[in-house]
Amino acid sequence: MGAKTPRDFEALEAQAQILLSVFIAAGHEAVAPPAIQPAAVFLDVVGESLRGRTYVFTDLDGEELCLRPDLTVPTCRLYLERHSNAEARARYCYNGTAFRFQPEGADAAHPREFRQAGIESFGDLKREEAEAQTFALVLSALQQAGLRTWQLRIGDLGLFDAVLAAAEMPERWRRRLRHQFGRHEAFRAELKSLTTHPARSAAAVPAAVLDALEPNNPAGAEQRVGDYLDSAGIELTGTRSLTEVTDGLLSITADAKAKPLNAATAAMIDAYVDVAAPARTAGEHLRKLLGKAGPDVADALDAFERRIGFLEGSGVDMSTVDFSAEFGPNLAYYTGFVFEVVAPSLGTASPVAGGGRYDSLLKAVGAPCQTPAVGGAIHTERLLALVSGGKR
Amino acid sequence: MSAQLVFAVPSKGRLMEQTGDFLSQAGLVLRKVGDTRGYRGEIEGLGGIDVTYISASQIVAHLNAGSAHIGVTGEDLVHENISNADDRIVFLKKLDFGHADVVVAVPQCWLDVKTVSDLQAVAAAFRRTHGRSLRVATKYLNLTRRFFSANGLNDYRIVESLGATEGTPAACTAELIVDITSTGATLKANGLKVLEDGVILHSQANLVASKVAAWPAETKRARDAMLDRLWLAGQARF
Repeated sequence: MGAKTPRDFEALEAQAQILLSVFIAAGHEAVAPPAIQPAAVFLDVVGESLRGRTYVFTDLDGEELCLRPDLTVPTCRLYLERHSNAEARARYCYNGTAFRFQPEGADAAHPREFRQAGIESFGDLKREEAEAQTFALVLSALQQAGLRTWQLRIGDLGLFDAVLAAAEMPERWRRRLRHQFGRHEAFRAELKSLTTHPARSAAAVPAAVLDALEPNNPAGAEQRVGDYLDSAGIELTGTRSLTEVTDGLLSITADAKAKPLNAATAAMIDAYVDVAAPARTAGEHLRKLLGKAGPDVADALDAFERRIGFLEGSGVDMSTVDFSAEFGPNLAYYTGFVFEVVAPSLGTASPVAGGGRYDSLLKAVGAPCQTPAVGGAIHTERLLALVSGGKR
Repeated sequence: MSAQLVFAVPSKGRLMEQTGDFLSQAGLVLRKVGDTRGYRGEIEGLGGIDVTYISASQIVAHLNAGSAHIGVTGEDLVHENISNADDRIVFLKKLDFGHADVVVAVPQCWLDVKTVSDLQAVAAAFRRTHGRSLRVATKYLNLTRRFFSANGLNDYRIVESLGATEGTPAACTAELIVDITSTGATLKANGLKVLEDGVILHSQANLVASKVAAWPAETKRARDAMLDRLWLAGQARF
């Protein structure tokens, strides 16, 4: 959509000034990272689903560039330019255009060019407090811009990770479950297959070769796999080494020989991802469900409740907030608390704002270590459509 | 002139010959107009039709833009290049030539990979070892994204390849490929294997009409006369 007429443009500009002034008053420095970004950074951190919607091009020097599909990654890069050791605390805000190809065709709620106004907070070690502040500040900006009704949804990827960590199973099974997180059917199917027949693959080798591989003798296994390749006349080509292929085969044998996931453990995970409750009562509910799940889960539950406390303290009307264990935005980089703001008239497919914690992202774009990071952004065209009552 | 039906046919190779054969079975003879090395022609005895010889991939672009009314092209090219194909073109007839499959192929030495679902585990392990995602060499960017997304694979990166795609894994410029193959011989010769469920699309040449081209009454008459000769009279619902 963007601004079609000078009047639209002025309305968006005026709204952006309101949003930015709220952010600046709360201590966020306004920044303007470049719209044109190196493509490789985005390719690696946003996942191919968003990369598939990113406008990528090669410039006259042959450099692969893109029009930024969001402003979080560019803001991270700007932070690293200023603080290469990623230790300093910094709070930024921005209002700028992001670009995404819309495979179903662009429309008013899904323009290919839209403006994001948002905030990012780096290096704040008081995690739950920073998360609550971020969420509350986004809500306060929305309110200042005139938004009156909304539904709020929060999730907690850190709690999900803690639940998985507490469940006894090989790390590779946790990865399989993590991969399906947020995909309701696929997650349950994966959980079910782990409790019945964990072997994911039949592998492309005769069963006799596979059976002879011993997980606790990787060198011997590699020898056997090498011998098999020779006997079958298959050349070892490409980037993956014999060791990597052998490791893959060893996980397959290990899965085939492993005792399936304990039914009670699976039931607990299943019950956890099923939790969808008003945020105020969710803590109690989760404690009943996970109270005996071990110290990591207890820590994550404490963090959850501290965060709810901070949210209440920052004046967020908790009666409008729902917790959903299964909720996680469709961006690869979130690692903890996540939130979204939905307007009833636009629906969940077109949230007005969203954000969360993304502690691994700075490292992925070049920081020497993981750095706490939390942020949120507003889809300003959607906001303007909502507050001007659909008259436009 | 503007009401002429633009009929786009492949400009070279087997596809051009086979298109000519298909038309001649129906008694239609393509003839070049002017210079025999030129790119314009007509169908003998059928008025109102401009034949234009262009490359198969360009034919899709012309149908999508509406600058050709009817054309001969592969399903792979249509589905790759037009994201909302049902809104923009109509498949009139499968032509039973130009058969080929768009497939996912990996090195034969990947003994731990048999199906597409095995790739997720490989992608995760690969990232841990090499610190980056698997690279998929292909010219089918859209087909690849759609297929992998439907199969729940997200940690990969496409490397656009416009030729000799099957050589990229051995050259270590990609880990796997999505490419078109008719017999699989080239893949095999390059040490690659097709995944069991890795056929993205069975493609063949099709007679395709553009819905977005201008269709004034005169052009429709030319279309009907042509489709009538090809025993496709009932197909013209656009």
